[in-house]
Amino acid sequence: MKKKGKETRGKEKEKPRQKGRLPKEVLALLEQEGLRTDTLLAAVTGDMDNTGEFCARWAAFDEQGLYFATGSETVVSKKGSKKLKTDYRLHSLETVPIGDYDELKTERYVSTGRLIGKKNGEDCSLTLFSIGFLKGFEDFCKTYNTFKSGKPLENAEQEGEERKCEKCGMPIPNGFHSCPKCADKNSTIKRLFAFFGGYKKEVAVVIVSMLIGTGISLIMPKISTQMLFDDVINKAGTEPAEKLIRTLGLLVLGLFGVRFLNTLFSAVYQYIIGGIMPRVIYDIKQKIFVAMQRLSVGFYASKQTGSIIEHVNRDANNIYWFFVDGLPYVLINSIMVIGVTGFLFSLSVKLTLLVLLLVPMIVLTLVFGGRFFRKLHHRFWIMNARVSSMASDNINGQRIIKAFSKEVDEYDRFAEVSGKLKGAELKLALTEATVFPILYLVIIILSTVLLAFGSMLVVRGEMTTGELLTYIMYVNMLQGPIDFLSWVSNWWARCVNSAQRVFEIVDSKPDVLESETPVMLEQFCGAIEISELVFEYEPARPVIKKLDLSVREGEMLGIVGKTGAGKTTIANLIARLYDAKEGSVKIDGVDVKDLSMKQLRSNVGLVSQDIYLFIGTIADNIRYAKPDANLAEVIAAAKAASAHDFIMKLPDGYDTRVGSGGQDLSGGERQRVSIARTIIQNPKILILDEATAAMDTATERNIQESLTRLKSGRTTIAIAHRLSTLRDADRLAVIDEGRVVEHGTFVELIKAKKEFFKLYKIQTEALKSVGIVE
Amino acid sequence: MSETTTAVQTGALTNIGFLELEKCEFYRNPNGFLCLRYEGEEHNRVQALRSLPLTQPDAFLCIQDMENQEIGILETLTTLPEGMAELVQEELERRYYCPGITDITSIKEKMGFYYFDVSIGGFKKTFSVKDLGKSIKELRRGGILITDVDGNRYLIPDLAKITPRCARQIEPYLY
Repeated sequence: MKKKGKETRGKEKEKPRQKGRLPKEVLALLEQEGLRTDTLLAAVTGDMDNTGEFCARWAAFDEQGLYFATGSETVVSKKGSKKLKTDYRLHSLETVPIGDYDELKTERYVSTGRLIGKKNGEDCSLTLFSIGFLKGFEDFCKTYNTFKSGKPLENAEQEGEERKCEKCGMPIPNGFHSCPKCADKNSTIKRLFAFFGGYKKEVAVVIVSMLIGTGISLIMPKISTQMLFDDVINKAGTEPAEKLIRTLGLLVLGLFGVRFLNTLFSAVYQYIIGGIMPRVIYDIKQKIFVAMQRLSVGFYASKQTGSIIEHVNRDANNIYWFFVDGLPYVLINSIMVIGVTGFLFSLSVKLTLLVLLLVPMIVLTLVFGGRFFRKLHHRFWIMNARVSSMASDNINGQRIIKAFSKEVDEYDRFAEVSGKLKGAELKLALTEATVFPILYLVIIILSTVLLAFGSMLVVRGEMTTGELLTYIMYVNMLQGPIDFLSWVSNWWARCVNSAQRVFEIVDSKPDVLESETPVMLEQFCGAIEISELVFEYEPARPVIKKLDLSVREGEMLGIVGKTGAGKTTIANLIARLYDAKEGSVKIDGVDVKDLSMKQLRSNVGLVSQDIYLFIGTIADNIRYAKPDANLAEVIAAAKAASAHDFIMKLPDGYDTRVGSGGQDLSGGERQRVSIARTIIQNPKILILDEATAAMDTATERNIQESLTRLKSGRTTIAIAHRLSTLRDADRLAVIDEGRVVEHGTFVELIKAKKEFFKLYKIQTEALKSVGIVE
Repeated sequence: MSETTTAVQTGALTNIGFLELEKCEFYRNPNGFLCLRYEGEEHNRVQALRSLPLTQPDAFLCIQDMENQEIGILETLTTLPEGMAELVQEELERRYYCPGITDITSIKEKMGFYYFDVSIGGFKKTFSVKDLGKSIKELRRGGILITDVDGNRYLIPDLAKITPRCARQIEPYLY
């Protein structure tokens, strides 16, 4: 995106206007229809017309009008080239005067979107499109609206239309700059090998050891079979026994020597690989972890990175095992195949030519058989995973199953999936039982043909018995490497896939970036000014809509509203866990995007409903924000957070280990530790996001007391469902559908008898009905 | 518990705000949007949402205004007069656009992406899928829903009814 921005800016002097990114063939077609394309300000590609019919659709605008063209596109091969090209046809061009629509916007549906024009305050449907084109249309609307508002267009960018790889013609997924299938493959491999850059000498020793070790093992059949038969066994009775025994002794010694050297060189390369790989994997994991720390919260919230830990571990293991157990044997087996083929030719050219005729048959059988069985294994694996997840689902839900008396239904559900697993397993087992004997039979027949042909050569005197037996040994030596090389490519592909996923994380750009010239405030006071704030987690689904809000330094603002109104999002935007789409959040007059990230984060304390304690002691967790805090400060913070008393009741006190595998603390206790963590940070802005929502009344009261102590001398934003907890607030803001619908003091809002009053009435009446008067 | 009490309670539970068909009048306004006139009240622009988009796409349709406020639930599309049923159906098809795959030419896995080369009503289409477990869903009655990396959705209405060659192509990827 940045790159495109730079390119656009570079051309601004000669051509201040943007044409968007319509293919040049489409521009030519539009020109033929009499449309001037050099004056177009923006354009976008879609795939449906206004009635939802599938077609090629292009929208564009210039200072005179808004244009909608409908056509078709076909991907065809370029003549005399492997590359693909797209043929475009234009069917219709519709022109709407620019004055007709005051504003353009998009609406997002389940798998489609719609471009809407606002005409005299009314919505008009302009075109539909598949959801993949939404980003492109959003940017188009943004450019159009910027133009209509009279603002300059230099920051408007065009993104998101479906792009196709020139090489393979496949669609390039959103978020990728180039085709992941073609462009990144070589660079992924290069980058993967770059991790071994620091171990060049070791890698050279490994390769030399492999070459020597494999070369030595190739001599073995010569000594153990050919020389044994031709120089000892076949000469029994024709030469003196003493001489033969001496030769036998030498052969045995030679055999030991060769075996010893082979083992020695194998040990050398395995030792070196064993030493390099953990370091390489360490480097890879470090890179991933550093990248993960750099990335914004939005990255972790995206669906593709939901199982990020699993990905990282699995991918690192894939790479590890391929380099430890795969790649060395690719080299060894390749050397083996070449060496053995050379020996076979040296023993008998005729027999080797026969083998070369038979080998492709075996390789093809192995490749196709392998593919067929992989599908069966895959199906079995999937069914097995389903049964496991269903069993786990059932065990976790035992209380509910029993409460609803659903044991029999659950059994039926399990039996259905389990039955499918049985079917997959039976198919696999029966196919294996049928196919493998046939495969072996084919191999035995081929071996017998070979033996018969070889024996004929022995009878004719073209080969000795020792040579034939050695020959058969060499042929047998080929089987393993050919089998390995026939399927190792899949293993390699898996390893490269893993590496690509790893680099995807390493290369991901954080959404929230520190300004190149961050502002350091001399004094961080904590006055917040939010103006015309717009934010959306997903395109065309705004959560915050043109929100204005201000909090004075040292003031306490209470934010109330229904679930999903956008309260937590406001907190996240103040802490700059996300960046606003439009509008700004300013602290002490400076946009948070320009503020030093370190200063901002150290001055904004967030206590949320989701409490996370890291693995470590309670003391470690409290001083997380200030690692150099002494024990007195830790205890003071714990006391201020009403946590000290319960900590002292624990056998290990502040040394109690918490987090995964540590001491179980109740929700209230964990919350108090997290409040102590915020107290020690001493932030100028404190955000309490439903901090006590999940607590019982007594715990809530305790925590409220700690929070009251915490509020003095700082700006506080308290988000709460229970309005009673906001009585201390200087002012209150009611948020609904991403907007401030009402604000004022508690008394003012009650008197106004609007949204807040309604909420308050509902809550107090509910409490009265159970005999509680607040 | 008496039968009357049970009936009353069941009635209360099933009273989910069904729209009375004779009071409904769906029409399309000149700007191309679906509108509803109900009990004399004009709802200029309404949206139709499927409660069960995968299993019962034409039943329990939730009719909302543009502020996402529910006007009522249409029990089934088939009971609407012909012209109006078509209008609502068109609206649903645009919202839940999900072309049916008629043939699968190939599925190739490269660098963690699965490239589907398919035919949709005679047109060739290539799309890529990632994260198979989430992107390919087996539906009841043999259907398969595929979501590509951009969020577009494609449907194989019934696996048993496509050619055995197509079924063999997709089968290894079903989770």
